[in-house]
Amino acid sequence: MFAPVSFILQPGQLAVIAGANGSGKTTLLEALAGLSLLRRGEARFAQSAEQHVWLQNSHYLGHKLGNKANLTCLENLQFVASINATSVTQHQLELLLEEAGLAGYEYQFANDLSAGQKKRLALSRLLMLNKTFWLLDEPFVNLDHGGCDWLYAMIERHLKQGGAVLLTAHDQKKIHALADHHITLQPSAAEVSS
Amino acid sequence: MRFQALVKRDVLVSWRKKSNIYQPLVFQLLIVTMFPLGLGAGAQTLAKIAPAVVWILALLSTLITLENIFKDDFEDGSLGVYVLSGMNLPLAVLSKALAHWLTTGIPVILFAPVTGMLLHLPEQANGILMLSLLIATPIFSLLGTIGSALIMNIKNGGMLLSVLVMPLLAPVLIFGAGAVLETTLGNSAYGHLMLLSGCAVLCLTLAPLAAAAAIKINLE
Repeated sequence: MFAPVSFILQPGQLAVIAGANGSGKTTLLEALAGLSLLRRGEARFAQSAEQHVWLQNSHYLGHKLGNKANLTCLENLQFVASINATSVTQHQLELLLEEAGLAGYEYQFANDLSAGQKKRLALSRLLMLNKTFWLLDEPFVNLDHGGCDWLYAMIERHLKQGGAVLLTAHDQKKIHALADHHITLQPSAAEVSS
Repeated sequence: MRFQALVKRDVLVSWRKKSNIYQPLVFQLLIVTMFPLGLGAGAQTLAKIAPAVVWILALLSTLITLENIFKDDFEDGSLGVYVLSGMNLPLAVLSKALAHWLTTGIPVILFAPVTGMLLHLPEQANGILMLSLLIATPIFSLLGTIGSALIMNIKNGGMLLSVLVMPLLAPVLIFGAGAVLETTLGNSAYGHLMLLSGCAVLCLTLAPLAAAAAIKINLE
């Protein structure tokens, strides 16, 4: 789909993937997340060649948010916590939702939230799970100004704590300015010639 | 821990979306009332066909629910949540199958004597009917995970799922309906039930592996 790319993300670094529509940004992120097979290539965490070590340390959030429509916000987070073998208290989850701007929505079904609130709910999983690598596909889409600022601050804090973030974003000058790497996906040679 | 979390979530989702639970039962009730009307026959004819009809209805009404085992999760992205959680994938399949059985299999087992009664199935066959379904409904759910995992990214894949799963269910129907028929004839259903149990064990061991492989293929 796209020409070969290769990059190293050091702790505290942010990479932004750019490319035209259909250039394969989502495909690359999904492949890195382990949701689709890399035809050639690999992702490694630190010195470990084992792919599962990479997967254990990364968290992917794509266009499909993964909220269950007829579970409440709290139930959604509780499920993600227990499926990831993370133990959290009800109080911690309430604080998390408050931080995500979802205070008062704890017992609302995810279905009844607005598009932006659904995104906030999904993004709050990042804070709960504490993974080193964040793979985010268009995380700013649907968020209002406050939400964008919240996410920006969240990414900045994560980088300061030694995490690394790989994301795609359109029209986000602030996040582009923060980026250490700009990865541009070019059509592969085979496709150009055809 | 993870196993329970997934089962609990699925049961809760089904419970809130009541149609998941009612749909097979309403389907059975609608069709079973057609039989006396269509056949226009007395109790004796109905009793003769009852073992087969009750069993086929239980099977078909479960079949229409199989598609959603993985499809809903695939569409809203929550499949990714547990596939990427590092949870053992065949174990995840097993918990999906258990949740499906709890919300579809158990109602179907409990409802079978009702369809049996409407078709004048002799009362003494009810015990074996429910026992045979108790062994067979987990097979439906387990085979359903394979079918559902294969078709989850296909729109309107329900038909394809039926075509895929039906041949695998044929022996289950033969042994299950056979067990009930033997009972109505006054014979022992032991052999049929043993063969049915064999099918169940086979599915329990192999279906999670096959469904997990199907999920991986679809994610690639």
